Amino acid sequence: MTTKDTKDRQYLNVTIVTHSEGKDMPINFKYKKRHEREKPMALDVLLQAQETKLPDLAFRYGCRARNCGVCTIDINGLPRIACRSVVRENDKLKAMSTLPVITDLVVRRDQISRQLRGKIYRNSGGNDLNVDASEDYHELTSCIECYACLHNCPMHKKNSIDPSESDERYEYGNPFSLLKLQTIVMDPVSSNSQKNDAITQAVNLGLDTCLNCPGCKCGIGIDLKGKVVNPLITASKTIADK
Amino acid sequence: MRINLVWKQYDVLVVGSGGAGSNAAETASEMGASVLVVAKDPLSASDTKISEGIATVRASGSEDDSEDTLSENLQLAGGDLPDVNITSAFAKDSQRAYDKVRANGLRPKISAISKSPDPLPLPMGGHTKRRSIGHKNSGVAFGHANWNSIVKDAKIDYKEDCWLVDIITENNKGDTKLIVGALIYDAQRGELLAVVCASIVVASGGLSTIYFPKTDTMRGNTGDSYAIAARAGAELVDMEQIQFLPFCLTSPPAFEGLLGGEPVTASYLGVLRDKNKKVILDGVYLRTRAECSAAIMKAVEDGRGTKNGGAYLDMTANKRAPKSGVYFMKFLKGSLPSAYNNVRQAMNKSESQCEDLWEVRPSAHYMMGGIRVDENCCSVGGSKGLKNEGIVGLFAAGQAMGGLFGANRLGSTSLTEGAVFGQRAGKNAALHARNESAMNRLNKKLFLEKAKKVNSLIGQKGHLHASRIKLTVQRKCWENLGPIRDERRLNKTKLFISQTKKKLKNVKISNNTKWNQSLIEYLELENMLDTAELMAFAALERDGSLGGHVRADRPNISLFSKPYSTIVRFLNDGVDVTRLPRKQTEIKKLIKFKFEEQRKFLGAKILRLMPMILKDRVLEKRYKKIMNIQKSSITVQPGSVEGAVGDRKIL
Repeated sequence: MTTKDTKDRQYLNVTIVTHSEGKDMPINFKYKKRHEREKPMALDVLLQAQETKLPDLAFRYGCRARNCGVCTIDINGLPRIACRSVVRENDKLKAMSTLPVITDLVVRRDQISRQLRGKIYRNSGGNDLNVDASEDYHELTSCIECYACLHNCPMHKKNSIDPSESDERYEYGNPFSLLKLQTIVMDPVSSNSQKNDAITQAVNLGLDTCLNCPGCKCGIGIDLKGKVVNPLITASKTIADK
Repeated sequence: MRINLVWKQYDVLVVGSGGAGSNAAETASEMGASVLVVAKDPLSASDTKISEGIATVRASGSEDDSEDTLSENLQLAGGDLPDVNITSAFAKDSQRAYDKVRANGLRPKISAISKSPDPLPLPMGGHTKRRSIGHKNSGVAFGHANWNSIVKDAKIDYKEDCWLVDIITENNKGDTKLIVGALIYDAQRGELLAVVCASIVVASGGLSTIYFPKTDTMRGNTGDSYAIAARAGAELVDMEQIQFLPFCLTSPPAFEGLLGGEPVTASYLGVLRDKNKKVILDGVYLRTRAECSAAIMKAVEDGRGTKNGGAYLDMTANKRAPKSGVYFMKFLKGSLPSAYNNVRQAMNKSESQCEDLWEVRPSAHYMMGGIRVDENCCSVGGSKGLKNEGIVGLFAAGQAMGGLFGANRLGSTSLTEGAVFGQRAGKNAALHARNESAMNRLNKKLFLEKAKKVNSLIGQKGHLHASRIKLTVQRKCWENLGPIRDERRLNKTKLFISQTKKKLKNVKISNNTKWNQSLIEYLELENMLDTAELMAFAALERDGSLGGHVRADRPNISLFSKPYSTIVRFLNDGVDVTRLPRKQTEIKKLIKFKFEEQRKFLGAKILRLMPMILKDRVLEKRYKKIMNIQKSSITVQPGSVEGAVGDRKIL
């Protein structure tokens, strides 16, 4: 084995795209493996970069176990949950392209939740809470809000991705917002008018965009097309027919 | 560069958007208060969201589960350190608080017989009744409900990416301190928010990140709750009581610190070994977490630790048993699925099949101490625990508060704690704001001075980086304030902290106003240092081992000695430490408890010494019994007393 081979096995070359005041700056980073066979996750690379070369590198993370949903970044242009995504030689780590970048790999997220502000009516007492929810309801509430589903979403693309400072919320929806609305439809505790409101909200967020779309991809494997989009489209047609 | 100051006015400011914060915000808003929620992480991304999702609901399993029974269970588990008024409040509110979370979309399985949520089939360790309700999708289901509670009706204002710099108080009538507001760094917008408000609910979680990566909790737990309250003058209680889980993973880096197993999942024949494979602790399944952690750390200290500073958990004897081995694997996989999932991904096949040893090391999991409050979540102080000796207008809930758990925590209680006390804090914060207007007392100068201090940091020149100092703090806290402590280590911690605080003026802080990572690291570092300092003083005062606090240089504190809590606070540039006497459980009950424990240990010893054939037969029967009764796959919650039945022994 030559010295170069040994070296190659010790390091992993990665590009980290930093971002400051509107400008991207790619930085080459050599990740030093703890042992030859280590297959580091993207988050391991970012933590080591912060520890060594880039002490002020900004990125989000939380539980390191794929539960909290905050560490999503783009790896080679595709959204990945950083704490559980293995990094390979020459991979490029960058902020998610679907949300406005604040600094380095940190994106602004709250315009998504704000588009549902005041629109997810919840049972505020009175209704019988002691009813079982369906398996589909539970599949929807397994969503960890990682926002990987924004990728390639034609509805979300209708928004100006980088809204002005004062823009509190996106006008057009996305699979996550639709999922939250469909959760209300699936909730056995919701009243009929609450369900209809949720479906109307989905239409207002631009549900018609979904008609010509091959479907969205969930970061943790929820069947978004089958369990969220299609049922909402069907329900909205029923309401329109009435 | 200067960060612009923006003025805001609310009745109630809630810090944190996890289980406690969201419940506080919703309740305060329902009471008619104007509410702002600020959190540094995205909405609802918290320890609640990443938890196992099991909640204590009194009387969910049987009607004879009285408030007194539940409160007494908490008292006994906590080694008589909990405040009786607080455990009673927990017992009183658990059903109502849980239903409020359900109203926001949490949907447990409903029993066909009782027509209500069905608790796990057996009481969790330390609970004398069945009352722990599991949920599909674990904590994520709670995460959704909490998210809904803030977003749903557009009445609550919220801001993500906000770091609270300091609480601002004013002196009133002699020495009484009143809340007038807080200064917040809004990293997203690059602004300083001067929030004028009469009430502040601190619900910004725990401190496990001072041990990172030796923790299985959220990164944001940098001790913010304790530091900001203490800097405002609040008293903190039981700050030496942090729960470590002994059997966490050591590698690869992505899994470092995450949970692998609990003492009880080591099962009947599990033992701990040092790097030379010599047994350092047997009968692991009946040991306390603290005993397991101390055994591991002692071996490390003597140079007998494994490569990554831990020990080996050897469960091969369980697996080798010809008949019961199969059942053992089922038990291991089924009783703690999330932990076993970590093991499966992080270790090789022979290890995850328990044919080889697991390298394990303790991790920080939960802070049982916290801000000293009464049962209404109001900050209190002094020997009598009076409101006007605390900070008037300051409230705390969830992991931020102390007084509920004392020296040990019952399983499945923390989610309920967040809901019960979040709601209580929200209600009382709203009531306080009705009678007190911060605007009447607004002294802009106080805010401007704080803002000036933050702005003086922007562009600070220096050769040090806060993110790197943090790493050193984390290493030092692990070594000297971690699962094993002694006077020498604790004094070293104090010295290290005072030296590090002096270095802060040499930390380089960049010029940008928007998401200034170096400023964020600096603010969190300050909180970590303040919190660790207060913990070190509390740990020195508690001069014996009790609960999560292990003193290698002192004997265990007896179950029969007079219980007390430690109280710490910042006073005149120093730390003031006092003891607060607590009420002791009746001696009769304590003796009964002690006797039962002794009997259990004797039984375990006999089993260990039996020949394999006999042992195998006994174990097969036992596993079958466990699996038959417990139809549900969730039986052990990380951090629960059931996960380490030995933890009851310390009581």
